Amino acid sequence: MTRQLTSSPAATAQAVPAPQRRGRWSGRTRRDFFVFLALALPNLALIAVFTYLPLINNMYYSTLDWTLGSTSATVVGLDNYVAFFTSSDAPQVLGTTLVFTVVTVGGSMTLGLLVALALNAKVRGTTFARSAVFAPYVLSGVGVGLVWLFIFDPGYGVLSWLLRGIGQQSPQWINDPQLSLVMVIIVYVWKNLGYCAVVYLAGLQSLPKDVMEAASLDGANGLRRFMSISVPLLSPTTFFLLITTMISSLQAFDLIRIMTPLGNGTSTLIYEAYLQAFGAYNRAGYSAAISVVLFAILLIITVLQLRFVERKVHYS
Amino acid sequence: MAMNLDRRNFLGLAGLGVAAAALAACGGPSTSGSAASSSPSDIDFTGVKPAGSFDFWTSHPGQSQAVEQSIVDKFQAKFPDIKVNLVTAGANYEEIAQKFQTSQAAKSALPGLVVLSDVWWFRYYTNGNIIPLDGLIKQLDVKIDDFQKSLVADYQYANKQWALPYGRSTPLFYYNKDHFKAAGLPDRAPKTWQEFADWAPKLQASSGAKYAYIYPALAGYAGWTLQNNLWGWGGSWSNGWTFNCDSPESVAALQWAQDSIYKDKWAGVSSKNAADDFAAGITSTTISSTGDLLGVLKSAKFNVGVGFLPGGPKAATNVCPTGGAGLGIPSGVSKEVQLAAATFLKFMTEPENTAAFSAATGYMPTRVSADMTAVLAKTPQIKTAMDQLAVTKVQDNARVFLPGADQEMAKAAAKILTQQGDVKATMTDLKATLDGIYTKDVKPKLKS
Repeated sequence: MTRQLTSSPAATAQAVPAPQRRGRWSGRTRRDFFVFLALALPNLALIAVFTYLPLINNMYYSTLDWTLGSTSATVVGLDNYVAFFTSSDAPQVLGTTLVFTVVTVGGSMTLGLLVALALNAKVRGTTFARSAVFAPYVLSGVGVGLVWLFIFDPGYGVLSWLLRGIGQQSPQWINDPQLSLVMVIIVYVWKNLGYCAVVYLAGLQSLPKDVMEAASLDGANGLRRFMSISVPLLSPTTFFLLITTMISSLQAFDLIRIMTPLGNGTSTLIYEAYLQAFGAYNRAGYSAAISVVLFAILLIITVLQLRFVERKVHYS
Repeated sequence: MAMNLDRRNFLGLAGLGVAAAALAACGGPSTSGSAASSSPSDIDFTGVKPAGSFDFWTSHPGQSQAVEQSIVDKFQAKFPDIKVNLVTAGANYEEIAQKFQTSQAAKSALPGLVVLSDVWWFRYYTNGNIIPLDGLIKQLDVKIDDFQKSLVADYQYANKQWALPYGRSTPLFYYNKDHFKAAGLPDRAPKTWQEFADWAPKLQASSGAKYAYIYPALAGYAGWTLQNNLWGWGGSWSNGWTFNCDSPESVAALQWAQDSIYKDKWAGVSSKNAADDFAAGITSTTISSTGDLLGVLKSAKFNVGVGFLPGGPKAATNVCPTGGAGLGIPSGVSKEVQLAAATFLKFMTEPENTAAFSAATGYMPTRVSADMTAVLAKTPQIKTAMDQLAVTKVQDNARVFLPGADQEMAKAAAKILTQQGDVKATMTDLKATLDGIYTKDVKPKLKS
């Protein structure tokens, strides 16, 4: 320490022409490193045991012909992947996943932005409105699913009652596979738009007011200011929401499980993986292969977003 | 940001991959040797003392938690050295099966006694998850001859008894007596579906209910109740291990069901629970489990009638499948636990306890000698369910022995009954699916 204090940087550079590894392991550095290990290792160990080990195990199980509950299995290599991609269910499952993800992400973000614009207005009652909009997001998915299932029930649901009031019959929301998907999407968007609204609201409130005022003075109307200033400046928020809501949608489970337990018309990749292993089929190896496919899709989407979409983001 | 994959990096990654694969291979099922034996041999319990406690996993079929607890309490009084932990292991048969299968995979926390439904026990048998009860039945002197023969026979395979009947049910025809009276119809269930088709317009005209009949919810057990229609028309899901759900008879049965909804417009399909829809007055009639009887009687605000399931053009009787749950003992627990569980199993299925269970739920008494006098005096409708037992039929192999078949049947039924799909094409697809499941998941295990 004393030598460093009394030596000029130039002299030090001359005395030590090349970096030496031993120099990085001074007493203090070593001590800091052990403190780092003491703090980080327990967390790293937990992540390794409860995240990475199951992930690796799952990849291994995807190479087995294994019936859940059986103590033995046969190694089949990539047969489970071949079976999934050549099955008649694959296009339907992948299509359902695509529709569910695109509509829920698009719906949550678009409606969330519109709600955020409304909540950003300086009128009375916005604090209550913000809480009300965000509340569904923190509610239990099981509870939300059960309540909405009652609302949609064509026999004695609230919606059916309202439709009867205007002389209309309730659609078969639960029995018709296509309407089941619509039903689950509606509830999912309702539950999650509060999250997007709050994040967008934070983004809107951090927009530079001087730019807006300058645009107003230049004669830009509200729509022009929104499209030319707010939307570009909100792009970091949009990018963040795009990644988080897409991952969340691809992992959506609770509402699907509660509202359509058979997965008829609503079987996304993650729900198909659940049904195959823990539903009636007990195909644990096949289910693991579907999980790996989902993992690969998530990984690819995230990498593509980071590489290409992020380029369009204005961080300042 | 660019990553250069040089030789050192590649070797490092390869090493990591091999280590990960080796690590993964440490857990999970064994991949050495052949599949597990599907039929553990008889177990000798000579000299074994029952364990001090064990878990009894149940889904409380027919809202039976209170009566189950009272039977457990009676058992504790008689056998103070064996503690029974009554565990709610799921809300229905599927959830309890999911928990049981997961525990099998984890090889831990298994119960001593488990409720197993008609479509699950055979899978437990093929996986070697349950033990044959023959040795225990003999050792504990369980009066097997006093059980209802058709119910106890449901759990026999390869000359062994794999479970004993517990919450056993059949579908029952429920009708709104007030609606029948207003329509000028006789106070009884129809003898055939053709007879009911004549009654349905009258019911619709006079009752004010949305439907004359509502088909049970497809997400429930469509494959179970639709056997009634299939058998009535001379069809079935399967005949032995031949899957004939696409036969002309089977197609005709389901075409008639589809017509009742879309052409004749007197029937609908329940979204969640047909018994609830019936009790709420949405429909004049339905088919639901005998296990729903007490719940319907309690919640309906009208006079409830029950009757045998209607027949069809080819078969007027013997068109009712058995169903419900039995009790089995896992193979993955110690002999001491198995013996303790068997002691409780014997107690649980004794005549007075099966009568108490039946009185509380509406499920059928499993013992011939069960004294049902008091029960029938209070709930005479149970007598109909008991009488129908004489004309029941063992379910089709396709539904009870093929993993996932019930779900495939429900999907096919949904296509026909809620999307007006082509019946013949749907049944042809279903047959191909059932053939595939049998060939891959069942046939190899039957040979071993």
